[in-house]
Amino acid sequence: MLLRLASRNLWRNRRRTLLTLSAMVVSLALLTLSLGVFSGMLVDILASTTEQYHGHLVITADDYLDDRDMYKNFSSDEQLLRKLETDEVVIGFSQRLRGFGLASHDESSYPVELLGIHPEMEKSVTNLHQQLAEGAYLSGNNGNGAVIGSSLAKKLKVSPGDELVFVTQAADGSIGNDLLIVRGIFRTGHSGHDNSLVLVPQQWLQKVMTLDGKIHEIAIAINAPLRAADYKPALATLLPQGLSITDWGELLPEMREAIASFDVSRLIFVIILYFATGLGILNTIFMSVMERTREFGILMALGLRPGQIKRLVLLESLLLGLIGTLLGLVCGLILSYYMSRFGIDLSTWITPITYAGGTMQPRLKAIFEYRNFIEPAYLLVVVSVLAGFFPARRAANLQPVQAIRED
Amino acid sequence: MIRFLLLLIISILLLPHPAWSVDLKALIRKVEEQYMGLSSKSRMTLNIRSEHWERSLKMDAWSLGRDHFLVRIIEPSKERDVATLKVDKEVWNYLPKVDRVIKVPPSMMGGAWMGSHITNDDLVKANKIDEDYSFELIEESKKRYLIECIPKPDAVVVWGKIVYEILLPMEVPGTVSYFDEEMVKVRDMVFDDIKKIDGRFIPLRMTIQPIDDPEERTIIQYSDIDFNIKIGKSFFSLRNLKR
Repeated sequence: MLLRLASRNLWRNRRRTLLTLSAMVVSLALLTLSLGVFSGMLVDILASTTEQYHGHLVITADDYLDDRDMYKNFSSDEQLLRKLETDEVVIGFSQRLRGFGLASHDESSYPVELLGIHPEMEKSVTNLHQQLAEGAYLSGNNGNGAVIGSSLAKKLKVSPGDELVFVTQAADGSIGNDLLIVRGIFRTGHSGHDNSLVLVPQQWLQKVMTLDGKIHEIAIAINAPLRAADYKPALATLLPQGLSITDWGELLPEMREAIASFDVSRLIFVIILYFATGLGILNTIFMSVMERTREFGILMALGLRPGQIKRLVLLESLLLGLIGTLLGLVCGLILSYYMSRFGIDLSTWITPITYAGGTMQPRLKAIFEYRNFIEPAYLLVVVSVLAGFFPARRAANLQPVQAIRED
Repeated sequence: MIRFLLLLIISILLLPHPAWSVDLKALIRKVEEQYMGLSSKSRMTLNIRSEHWERSLKMDAWSLGRDHFLVRIIEPSKERDVATLKVDKEVWNYLPKVDRVIKVPPSMMGGAWMGSHITNDDLVKANKIDEDYSFELIEESKKRYLIECIPKPDAVVVWGKIVYEILLPMEVPGTVSYFDEEMVKVRDMVFDDIKKIDGRFIPLRMTIQPIDDPEERTIIQYSDIDFNIKIGKSFFSLRNLKR
């Protein structure tokens, strides 16, 4: 009975209810959209470093990451690889050997970081093969091809087909040096990688550094990058003695901070927006309660208890909240879908920004994240019930006789 | 008159004492040049020990004054003909395996030379101590001078301080200690095995000892050294680097 009464009351002043409803729908829709875009930026910036370089998790010899000492290497371990292959969280992994040295072409030389990789494995962890500006990716495990960053290529004045000399101090102390042929040039927008990263076939690098059969790390890609830290302990149990696993949050503490601070700013954003929306709802319900003072008096005179009156008003605001939330979610989903499909390209106006160790691409693109919808929706319902509370109490406290006499 | 004399005396006393600094500068320069000669040709062995390996390199070296220097590896055969040329402030390496000459970029000047504990920067700057530093005598005895070298404010150097020991009466370097900008001792360069060659005293052995890695060191041992040979600037060319 109360429910029917409540819904009828709601539609009595159709214009006012619709106005309030539209405020709720717009705020929820925009909120989910902007959270989706925010998350999109975050995933973008995280991917820019993990999926262009680090991987989501990385297995190394203990302490290797402290100083990247080339002697802290390990041999490829078939058993471990098989375990990684069958792990359902892991979607890809890549064994790498790392070497620092000097790359030189004609008159110019620059310090570089070489990653000795198996091209097919590397593709399952990083997406550099999709970011080629010129030439092609490495094709086999052998040969002396190289894929280098665009800024480095520009500094060295090389294009695909040109020769590079790489010089380093090999593990036996000798001067390791050999020729590379530039195969491809990648452009990620991350200045560090574009300036110094060079991908080469692993065997080639092992030979130059006299580290046959050795690698420095296994970079891992997982299906839920933001949960890397949660999966770490399970993966750590697979490792033999002497190896350890590190997640991106530990590799990139600034990035972890940035993502944590996003959670806080999201909360602040929600509070501000909902405070305004809440006032709107409060206004609507309050006005309708004031208008119906006489009516409430009559209802009470007919025997409705104050508790029931209170419930009636609360039910009205709950109903308003539910309808608003439902419509808001639908609109939010449509907007987010549009933004995830098409997005907005800003590259005409701004260049990629390097922030917290990652790179923000100049585009707005939403992603779908469960909590970006559930949390704002749930909160909107709570806010509308809260907004109904004050008018409801006022209505319940009316004295029937006085209320009936009111004009 | 007395007043005037007094003023004169005081002003002379207050003047920075140029006599010593000139002496020390000249002394250091003399010691350094004695070691190089006007020109020289030498054969030396580099014995390098690091945490993970130990190896010996036999090399030939030529020098002309302070600004020209060429060194070429003879042994081991794997690295035969790897060579380094230094002219003024620039360093080139020649790599026979790929038949390329590589100029060492400024960012790599701090890097190890031939895997030793000598940096490229040492090759460029080592013999310029008398120009880049100011000196103070901190100890003087019959056996040695101990001179503290502080970089001049405008000098582009990597060290915060150098303490230079000159052994007497031969006037050869003894132990030279290098300090970083926080005045922490980073390495010692010890000169010994002093021989008299062509009328001058020369330490034939030089040990570079990093302080924080007592297990590591580089020893340069001269086995043959000739001074004032006939050699021109044209010898120190990129063409000759490749040979």
